[in-house]
Order: sequence, then structure tokens, then C-alpha cells
Amino acid sequence: MDVVGLKEISSDVVVIWRWGFISLNATILYTWIVMALLILLSWLVTRRLSSGPRLSRWQNLLEVLVVGMRNQIREVSQQEPDRYLPFIGTLFLFIVISNLLTIIPGYVPPTGSLSTTAALAICVFVAVPVFGIADQGLGAYLKRYIKPTVFMLPFHVMGELSRTLALAVRLFGNMMSGSKIAAILLAIVPLFFPILMSVLGLLTGLIQAYIFAILAMVYIASATRAHEGEERVTKAEGPEDAEQSEKREEKGDR
Amino acid sequence: MLIDWFTVAAQIVNFLVLVALLKRFLYGRIITAMDQREERIASRLREAEKKKEEAEREAETYRRTNRELDEKREEMLFQVKEEVELKRKELMKRAHGEVDQIQARWHEAIQREKDAFLQDLRQRTGKQVYTIARRALTDLANAHLEQRMVEAFVERIAKLDEKKKKAILASMQRGDHGVVINSAFEIPTNAQEKIAKVVRNHIGDAIDIRYQISPDMILGIELKTHGHKIAWSIDDYLDSLEESVSQALSGEMEDSSIGRGADEKVQLKHPRKPKQKRGKR
Repeated sequence: MDVVGLKEISSDVVVIWRWGFISLNATILYTWIVMALLILLSWLVTRRLSSGPRLSRWQNLLEVLVVGMRNQIREVSQQEPDRYLPFIGTLFLFIVISNLLTIIPGYVPPTGSLSTTAALAICVFVAVPVFGIADQGLGAYLKRYIKPTVFMLPFHVMGELSRTLALAVRLFGNMMSGSKIAAILLAIVPLFFPILMSVLGLLTGLIQAYIFAILAMVYIASATRAHEGEERVTKAEGPEDAEQSEKREEKGDR
Repeated sequence: MLIDWFTVAAQIVNFLVLVALLKRFLYGRIITAMDQREERIASRLREAEKKKEEAEREAETYRRTNRELDEKREEMLFQVKEEVELKRKELMKRAHGEVDQIQARWHEAIQREKDAFLQDLRQRTGKQVYTIARRALTDLANAHLEQRMVEAFVERIAKLDEKKKKAILASMQRGDHGVVINSAFEIPTNAQEKIAKVVRNHIGDAIDIRYQISPDMILGIELKTHGHKIAWSIDDYLDSLEESVSQALSGEMEDSSIGRGADEKVQLKHPRKPKQKRGKR
């Protein structure tokens, strides 16, 4: 039943097929499954969209999701959301589906692998300067790093790197630990208690997806609004701290 | 090693592919659909607003037309009333006229009837009186009526005043120097002599006397010259009788015509009725 052994931390080590450097492991496989699910659902629903007053339940659900994500992005960035929606929305949807599917036995969340979370964090790490430069130009964007003085440059760079690392590790840690704890508890107390932990795991997965997407948006927003940069940074620090304290609480619970 | 760099690369590619596909299949379409719906709702609202305005305009037009129609109808009703009143007056006038005509015709007919009746009465009365008088004279005085008549005639000639005599003479000289004695009966010879004698004595000597019998006269004798005549005739008496009878008849007619006039006024709608009444008479 267990695809990944209890002793193995990452699902990367479960290699299904290998050809030289290229190896098809469980992480990639489950990622494909999640992707296929998302794309199939979108395609099926958006195949027959209605622009009239009557619409299908699935279309209604997707519209609720899209409108909700747009509103969140608008709130955080104070800008028009459609530019960021594909990137931020996909981050959220992918992580949510990956995390929620843990309810299915035999499923290993791709977000429980550090490789996946690192990949997503790298994407955010790249997306921040890309959106920033596209918004205010290369010069203005780079000037951010020497504000208020040039001595702040190393701190800015370190901040960028560390928050990317934090993104990756936070998600990985939560998801990996969640599945491990569930597996361990199942071995100790086989009845009832694992169900509670699974419920808690679902909640954690949802919260993590939300945090990841919101933080990515905050980083991008701070890069695209240089004149409000300082404000943005402090604001960005806020949720992170709250989230970190929450994480500490969770760990304390466990 | 927790990080497998190939997996990282693969996951980055996977994620970018997912972004592209979801952008293609999810966000774009959903947002387009929502925008379209919004646009459609907005356009419907605009259309509804437009239609409402239009409907209000239509309603206003309709109300105005209605009002105009009402006014027109009132006016037409008024006109019709006036026309009817006019027509009624005209008809009344015509009816009055007809009634008057009928009345006039009726009066005329009555007059004619009266005239005929009087003529008839006169003749009959004359004859009757003549018969009665003759019988009475014959029976009571034992005298011949015609003889008495001649005597009365002779007496009248004898009593002629001078002025009349002269006029008769003058007219005789202009004419054929003769007189004609008209009578309703054959005058006996002795009576003829008597007449001749009194004429010659009182009017003139050289007078040529001719005798004629005229059946038109009922009873009487007359002396006729060119333009003058002296007569004793029952016609005189008959005339006065005729006059009194005529007066009596006129009085009766006046009374009945007043009654009839009232009747006709009441029965305007049946102008033929008086005719029937008249027929009865």
C-alpha cells in the first residue's frame, strides 16, 4: 500500500522508470496525475460555457474559484488581478489539489517532496524580478536593492534568497510531516485517531496552499510597486510571521 | 539528498505547462464568459431602460390620442345634437305648414260645399216658396198669384221716383227706344195691357214693349232697358233668405273650424285624420 516507505522522506527516491539521467519517479507521476485532473476538469467544464443567466454547477464552482482568487489578488496587490491570475491561481490550485488528494489512500502528495516545493519556489523567485522589471523597467527595479543606502544590498539579496528557501521548506515540511505523522499514527493507533489527523492534514494543506499563493503575490506586488516598497516589505513580513507562529503551534500540537 | 535536481527541473517545466494550459482552458474562458454575461446583463438593462422609456412615450401618445378622440367625440355629439335640433325644427315647421295647407284645403272644400249647398237651397227654397206662395195666394186671397205679381210690379213702376224715371228714359234714347219685360211665366193679355199702360203713363209714350219668358227666373217680373231694370222678383226675398241662411251657416262653420283647429294641433302626427272627419261630414 505504501508507495513511499516510512524511512524515506521524499517520494523522489521511488523511481518507476529510468533512462540515464532521466528518471520517472513517483513525484513526477503524481504531479502529472494532478495536472491531468486539473486540465481535464477545466476542459470539460469550459467546453460548454454559458454566458447567459443559467449556468451549470461546475461552471458556477469554477467561477466562484476564479472570482475568489481575483478578489484576493486585487486585495493584496491593489492592482488589476488579471495579469497575475494565471501564475498565482495555478500555484494555489496545484498545491490545493495536491494537498487535498491525500485523503485518497495510496496517494503521495507531490508537494511533500522538496524537489517540487523547490521548483515552485524557484518559479516565484524568478517571477518576482520578471513582473518587477516588466512593470517598472530594469533600472528602477534594480534600484530597489540599494535603497535606502547601498549597504542594504546584501541584506536585500539575502532576504530574497531566504524567503525563497522559506517558501520551499515551509510547504515541504508541512506536507511531508503530515503524511508521515498519519502513517506513524496508523501504525500505533489504528482506529479513529488517524481520521482526525487526516482532517487536520486537509486543513493544513488548504492553509499552506493559501499561504504559498498569498506570499508569492506579496513578493511580486512588492517588486512591482517600488515606491511603496518599504511598506510592502513590512506588510509582507506580517503574514509570514503569523504563519510561522502558526506553524510552531502546529508542531507544538504534534 | 532531499533535492533531486532533475525532478526540480521537471517540476518547473510541469508547472509552467500547467500555467499555460490552465490559462488557456480555465482563466481565459471563465473570465470571458463572465465578462460576456456582465455585458449581456448590462445591455439587457440598457435595453429594458430603453423599452421602458419607449413604453412610457407610447403610453403618453396613447393617452393624448384618447383625449383627442374624447374631445372629438364630444364635439361630434354636440354637432349631431344641433343638427338633430335643426332638423326637428324644420320637420315641425313643415308639419305645421302641411297642417295649415290641409286646413286651408278643408276650408276651401267646406266653402265650396257651402256655396253649392246654398245655391241648391236657394233654388229649392225659391221653388218651394213660389209653390207655397202661389198656393197660399190662390187658397187664401182667391187671387191669381201671377196677377198679384203683375199688380205689385205695376205698383212699383208707378212709384218710381223722378230721378230713376229720367235715367231710364235717357238709357232708352241711347238704345233702341224699347223695354223688355222678362217674366218667369206667360203674362196674360189683360195684364200685358195693364203693364203697357202704366209704363206709357209713367215713363214715356213711345215705348216699344216686348215680352220674354226667362226660365232662369224663379218667380217675378222685370223691366229691362239698356243698362237699367225695374223688377219685382221673389229673388229679392230669396236673396235675403240666402243671406240669413248663409250667415247661419258661416256661424256654424266658424264654430266647427275652431274645434277642428284644436283637433289638428293635438293630432299633428296623424294629419290624415281630419280628412276622414271631413269625409264623414
